[in-house]
Amino acid sequence: MDVETYVKGLHPLEIKLLRKYKSGNKITSSGLISELSYNLGQCNQAFSWLSAKELIEETKRVKRVEYELTGLGREYREKGTPEERIYQLIQEEGALSLPELAVKLVLEKRDVGSAFGSLSKEGLLSLNADKQVMIKDESRSEKLESRRQLLDLFGGELEGNTEQATISETELSPEQAELASSLSRKRGTGRGLFRVTEREEVTYGITAEGEKVRRLLIDRKISGEEIGVITPEVIKSGEWREKGFRGYNLNIPPLRVLLGRKNPYVEFLERLKDKLISLGFEEFDGPLLETEFWNSDALFMPQFHSARDIHDVYHIKEPTHAKEIEQPSLDQVAATHEDGWKTGSRGWRYRFDRDFTRRMILRSHGTVLSARTLPKAKIPGKYFGVVRCFRYDRVDATHLADFYQTEGIVLGEDVNLRTLLGLLKMFAEEVAGAEEVKYVPGYFPFTEPSVEVHIKHPELGWFELGGSGIFRPEVTEPLGIKVPVLAWGLGIDRMALVSMGLNDLRDLFTQDIERVRLRRRK
Amino acid sequence: MPKIEIYEEPFYRALGKKYGNEELIELLTAAKAELDEHLKDEGLLKIELNDTNRPDLWSMAGLARQLNIYLGEPITGYDFFSTKEELKDYSSRVVEVDAGLKSIRPYFAAFVARGRAIDEPQLKDLIQTQEKLCWNYGRRRSSISMGVYRADLIDFPIKYRAVDPDATSFVPLDMEKELSLRQILTEHPKGVEYGSIVADYSLFPFLEDSKGEVLSFPPIINSAHLGAVKVGDSEHLIEMTGTDMESLLHAASIVACDLADEGYEILPVKVIYPFDTPYGKEIVTPYYFQSDVTMDIDYAAKLLGEKLTVEDGVRFVLKMGSKVKVKGSALTVTPPPYRNDFLHPVDVVEEIMIGRGMDSFKPVWPEDFTVGRLSETEIYNRRIREIMVGLGYQEMIYNYLGSRRDFMERMNLNGEDIIEIANPMTENYEIVRNSQLPNLLSSESVSANGVYPHRIFEIGKIAYKDSSENYGSVTQNTLSFLIADGEAGFNDANSHLSALFFYLTREYSLQEVEDPRFINGRVGGIICNGVKLGIIGEFHPAVLDNWGIQMPCVGAEIDIDLLMGKE
Repeated sequence: MDVETYVKGLHPLEIKLLRKYKSGNKITSSGLISELSYNLGQCNQAFSWLSAKELIEETKRVKRVEYELTGLGREYREKGTPEERIYQLIQEEGALSLPELAVKLVLEKRDVGSAFGSLSKEGLLSLNADKQVMIKDESRSEKLESRRQLLDLFGGELEGNTEQATISETELSPEQAELASSLSRKRGTGRGLFRVTEREEVTYGITAEGEKVRRLLIDRKISGEEIGVITPEVIKSGEWREKGFRGYNLNIPPLRVLLGRKNPYVEFLERLKDKLISLGFEEFDGPLLETEFWNSDALFMPQFHSARDIHDVYHIKEPTHAKEIEQPSLDQVAATHEDGWKTGSRGWRYRFDRDFTRRMILRSHGTVLSARTLPKAKIPGKYFGVVRCFRYDRVDATHLADFYQTEGIVLGEDVNLRTLLGLLKMFAEEVAGAEEVKYVPGYFPFTEPSVEVHIKHPELGWFELGGSGIFRPEVTEPLGIKVPVLAWGLGIDRMALVSMGLNDLRDLFTQDIERVRLRRRK
Repeated sequence: MPKIEIYEEPFYRALGKKYGNEELIELLTAAKAELDEHLKDEGLLKIELNDTNRPDLWSMAGLARQLNIYLGEPITGYDFFSTKEELKDYSSRVVEVDAGLKSIRPYFAAFVARGRAIDEPQLKDLIQTQEKLCWNYGRRRSSISMGVYRADLIDFPIKYRAVDPDATSFVPLDMEKELSLRQILTEHPKGVEYGSIVADYSLFPFLEDSKGEVLSFPPIINSAHLGAVKVGDSEHLIEMTGTDMESLLHAASIVACDLADEGYEILPVKVIYPFDTPYGKEIVTPYYFQSDVTMDIDYAAKLLGEKLTVEDGVRFVLKMGSKVKVKGSALTVTPPPYRNDFLHPVDVVEEIMIGRGMDSFKPVWPEDFTVGRLSETEIYNRRIREIMVGLGYQEMIYNYLGSRRDFMERMNLNGEDIIEIANPMTENYEIVRNSQLPNLLSSESVSANGVYPHRIFEIGKIAYKDSSENYGSVTQNTLSFLIADGEAGFNDANSHLSALFFYLTREYSLQEVEDPRFINGRVGGIICNGVKLGIIGEFHPAVLDNWGIQMPCVGAEIDIDLLMGKE
């Protein structure tokens, strides 16, 4: 990384350190604490960031023992140790019994006991005949003095600044050090006047690279006092007029945000619909439950057709039948099945079953809605629907029990096979982004002629995009339409999958929230 | 759609040349067929036939015939078909139908094919033809079933009888002991598979010859003796029984033409009925029953969008295998006996399209101007979707079919308005959803590892019973949303509901309701213009527990149709 980049990304803690020390200076945490008023945590942050950037390097490492007053130590320093207080009280009030001492000094009996023991051992106090404590030797004890001196080291100019109330072993005389150690809290005992911490003090020095950065900071007048987070106060106070702004490290990974989002598959379907309306198609929709009449009879599929067996559509348990079918559609469709009615067809030549035609099923294809649209369709007219259909199929990666079908019709006096091919070409190019288009004869019970369109998709290669045809007169005429009607259906799910990087149809309808949140469309 | 397997060697021999796969795929489009797989080691082609009205293409012989004619081979007639005007000689080959069959399985067709020892691929093709015809075209044998027998062992007249299933027995194919017809239904695999076709009748169909030798128990199983055809046999009786005379005669014609193409002589059989049939009381089969179809060439030209002369029309129709006569601009087409798919002049138009070749038609852009438009519902759905996304919700999309367990049991509901499927394939798809809330909870139940909070919604359809409707049910556009979070509560959901209604310019109030899905006192009916159009509440821990959810959940469900004021 070049020096410029370092300069931009430096934190105020790093900047201040670099400005303070020249190459050759010894940099330690205690130095930073006293000279830059960093706390220990800030020292460590600055060291670790700058070492990682190799702007400073470690030059020395020493083990350091530090003493700090415990709560008890602080109390003794302020109020006096029990020994001092006993000695002083007896000096003032004369001989007192041990229980009296404990009461008057508000000390625990055992503290009084052990303090007396220690003072009498030293020959300063003794018991008289009344078992009262009395002064034996008026001269001040050396031991009391040295302990007081040690405690007082923690006061003085550091008064009130408890954070800094640590004293390094190196600052003590050997005798003091020994005393401090003996009065320190030992493992397993709660009491003690000092807390001992052992830490390694590391000394750092500025590297050559660090020196370059340091010069640049000075040249650019970057002080580390620049404004960090911009707050209402910063704006109001006007301090931004004087100070600059600290630049941020722009490449820190941002935090994840949970946002509201459309489902990518729904978005795909919305785009598809938008495309179709841009091509002049009007959207239709209808109920999920349908009659055999609209699902198949109106499409001139004979009631004995093998595709209409119980194994191919879902039947409804209750109600099993619709109350009635729209007229005159019913009579005209029935007659067309039986003998062709006025359509010029010979019909399927069987007895049309008017109970069967009312039977309720789940709609099995979108063409139902094309048929339903015919009696009220405009001429010329273009219609489409992207609708949920149901199929009696075992569910696997390529088959779903319910799924979307995209279907539609085009009505016009002059539509014909060539306009049908043109329509398919338009879908292939506009909807699927096809590179090449191929048409082959197809078969659907309700269209004649029928054409399949195969396309070469940029990612999927050759596949069948859809089926189409011109509705048979036996479909259109009983529903009141005299002009040719182009009917088409598009298989768009494979394109939907590839656009989301999926390969299993079941994933389109996944329940897993996290997978949907992370799913993207190309 | 049927898929057939054919041996390459006899197929290409019939076509007169071997084709590469690419070439074959191209050629197959003339028969609306696709090459599904080529098993090189076995020399087998798997071919899918798309036209369910062309069962004549579901055999090696039939497919080869169609392709040969398309490639220019002249159309050969078949001289063994009887017509209304002319009966062919049936010698002593007579079948008598019992009156009792009229309501069971009334129709019968048969012929004898002789003169060639059948080889392995041919026998396989014949069995495949039988399977495809009876399974696909004959609706799993219910309207057509077919049997093949060793004709040299049969004594005419054959009796097609309705018999007592308990008093009649024989040794069926693939078994060694004699079984009654009733026993066959439970003890023979074919009886188990197809028994339901006859099981409800008191008498069963039965076929025997004049000496009482059993041919078969149609439509279930042949006898082990007369009904066991082997490689090397050279004289076969082909018989079909069924419920629809036209498709039965058609199927018999297909098999007769196939065998004739393979070098057999076809000998007609006369069937005598004691009741009326669409073709009289006596009919000699194979029987030609097609009618001519007349089409004006201008009709084809208009529908195909191309100029066409009468000569063009004749040429392309012939190329597809039908004979044609011309009078002025009218073409009168005589369909071949193996086809029964000329219902309307438009069917001739397609013959011309395929005969002329798809590539000869150039696409033209549709010229009519029309206005494109989304449905009102879609427009409103998009408005709602935008607001929900703005409120921080992830949109979900679910299957519409579900299980009773999820939609009733886990929701503590009895599901009285739920629409049940009469013939579910699995218990995972046995009802149509009447609510989206179970879908949202199912999401939560599998998403405990996803970062919280979870805010999800769906816009989609539900359906439920409503006896006042013509269909006895209503399909409803619905919005539902759910928050799952350690701190999710009623107030959060209500704030979002309030924002939604504000931007949809609707007002609502909440009405206290009791609902076993929610905590009492924390669930409200959403009232808008005096109509209840939804529900909002904190899910009851008992429901959450049913789903294995350990996170508080609050949700709402709203009828979009009512919300947008749709009639």
